[in-house]
Amino acid sequence: MFDETVTILENKKINSEYFRLVITSKRLSRDVSPGQFLNIQIENHQGLLLRRPFSYYRIKGNRIEILYAILGRGTALLADKRPGHLLKALGPLGRPFTQSLKGKRRVLVGGGVGVPPLVFLAERVQKESSTPLLLIGCKSKKEILPKRELAKVKTEVRYATDDGSYGKKGFVTVLLHELLKHENPKSIFIQTCGPTAMMDEVMKIAKEFGVEGEASVEERMACGVGACLGCVVETEEGFKTSCVEGPVFSFGELVHHG
Amino acid sequence: MAKTINLTIKIGNLTFKNPVTVASGTFGSKDEYAKYVDYAKLGAIVTKTVTRKPRKGNPMPRIFETPSGMLNAIGLQNKGIDDFIEYKIPYFKKVKTHLIVNIAGESVEDFVYLAKKLDPEKSVSALELNISCPNVKKGLEFCAKPELAYEVVKAVKEATKHPIFTKLSPEAHDFLGVADSTIRAGSDGLSLINTIRGMAVDIEKCKPQIANVFGGLSGPAIRPIALRYLHEVKRRFDIPVMAMGGIMTAQDALEFLITGAHLISVGTANFVNPKATMEILEGIETYMKRKGHQSIDSVRGTLKVKPDSESLLAPAG
Ligand SMILES: Cc1cc2nc3c(=O)[nH]c(=O)nc-3n(C[C@H](O)[C@H](O)[C@H](O)COP(=O)(O)O)c2cc1C
Ligand code: FES
Repeated sequence: MFDETVTILENKKINSEYFRLVITSKRLSRDVSPGQFLNIQIENHQGLLLRRPFSYYRIKGNRIEILYAILGRGTALLADKRPGHLLKALGPLGRPFTQSLKGKRRVLVGGGVGVPPLVFLAERVQKESSTPLLLIGCKSKKEILPKRELAKVKTEVRYATDDGSYGKKGFVTVLLHELLKHENPKSIFIQTCGPTAMMDEVMKIAKEFGVEGEASVEERMACGVGACLGCVVETEEGFKTSCVEGPVFSFGELVHHG
Repeated sequence: MAKTINLTIKIGNLTFKNPVTVASGTFGSKDEYAKYVDYAKLGAIVTKTVTRKPRKGNPMPRIFETPSGMLNAIGLQNKGIDDFIEYKIPYFKKVKTHLIVNIAGESVEDFVYLAKKLDPEKSVSALELNISCPNVKKGLEFCAKPELAYEVVKAVKEATKHPIFTKLSPEAHDFLGVADSTIRAGSDGLSLINTIRGMAVDIEKCKPQIANVFGGLSGPAIRPIALRYLHEVKRRFDIPVMAMGGIMTAQDALEFLITGAHLISVGTANFVNPKATMEILEGIETYMKRKGHQSIDSVRGTLKVKPDSESLLAPAG
């Protein structure tokens, strides 16, 4: 883990949902696994005090890409940053997604800013024999990940949109439900990241069909290193920090409302 | 050759190598920051509050960022004193700096129990009595009345040979009365200040941003308040103070040292900048060189104020 000041190479809106942030750092790009994150200080001023966690999206050499959406004051300020501006980034942090699934089919279920780390994961597991299935939920066609983002990733993508303007109409969990009805649940492993309500529903369906999986939880964070206990989630073994012991937890570990 | 600067501070029988310490609950419970900070370079480490029994802590969400600060309602999540003695103390034994253990209880008896348990521990340098946690039931009770504060400090003092810092909150209605009674009861120092309760609302869900409704405000937002309380105390009492509240930089730390703090604690700043303590320490040395101070003792209390300043004459509280 390193804390570094990094220069922004690119920071652009890529569609109505996502911005792409590109930085470069040798140390922050080494030994990174999908599901890990950077805790980024957007401004070094005391008005905006805390850092914000951002999942890694793509790494090429020393180049680190992050896809983010404007969700609050911090990300709004980040969107105003220009190439050449500096950020401070601490990472790589957190427990990543499981990569080796021992023959099970990987089903990735994502929404919003939960999609980028799943794409990163799909890209990393290219060598696996079975192609991962990526189920993405969003409001409408406008928010879908631009096609070229997935051009080089060997994955089968299915969309669900709230208004039916692209893919299936309805929530992404409808896609999951349909899939599980036709497959052997024992041969599938789900990995999910996105809004809490979506993940709760995914876990509920998984439980119903007896499918195993992992969820990358999204809690507010301050320190990112396990010191403040502000980011905990309820697990079978009591509260655990999502920054160090997570953000990825197995469905079995999480005490959820599913 | 530049003269070496003497950063050491004496409080009672304890000698601290420098004034920079970390605030309870903001530096983890063991080695969370060891990758970023050489613990041996700190003046002292103050642990997260330890209680008699393990505490699960409060429900989520527990934190929320506010202008120049944050609210927290962690609720003293910790594994309890037995776990602390078994697993944490052995780690700190190897760390070459003072260990100050912060303890809290719901009754005088709890405090005494904890103090007795820690009394034989040689690697513990001092106790910090948290009688000012805003996030748990009864957390502020002992800070609410001078008599209660007196009773708990007195009882702990009799139960231990370790020096005691009593941690106070501006939430105490009779702040100076409480400070006075803890000093009379035998506090070797005061820790000022704990967080101040605040609130924030999610306007979409129409719910408080903190599950516990109120959270303790920390960070730069409370720094002026912390300084004010430090000054109130230093004007009236001759007692060493470990000061905290929004210290982010060396400049902030110096405000407290000049106002009369013996030690300063870095809290929320650790979350923002894991190396904050080390940068603050360097900055203090740079200031001392620039100003020609050879010892930290000569920085402390250099504040110049007219004793008849109007605002100082207003009733304190
Ligand atoms: C997340 C968090 C947890 C804290 N936990 C404790 C605690 O367990 N015991 C305690 O006495 N103070 C606790 N505090 C209060 C700090 O020790 C300190 O008094 C306060 O935050 C003011 O300093 P700061 O503005 O530098 O953070 C906590 C503060 C924060 C932000
Ligand atoms: S963000 Fe501080 S413990 Fe996880």
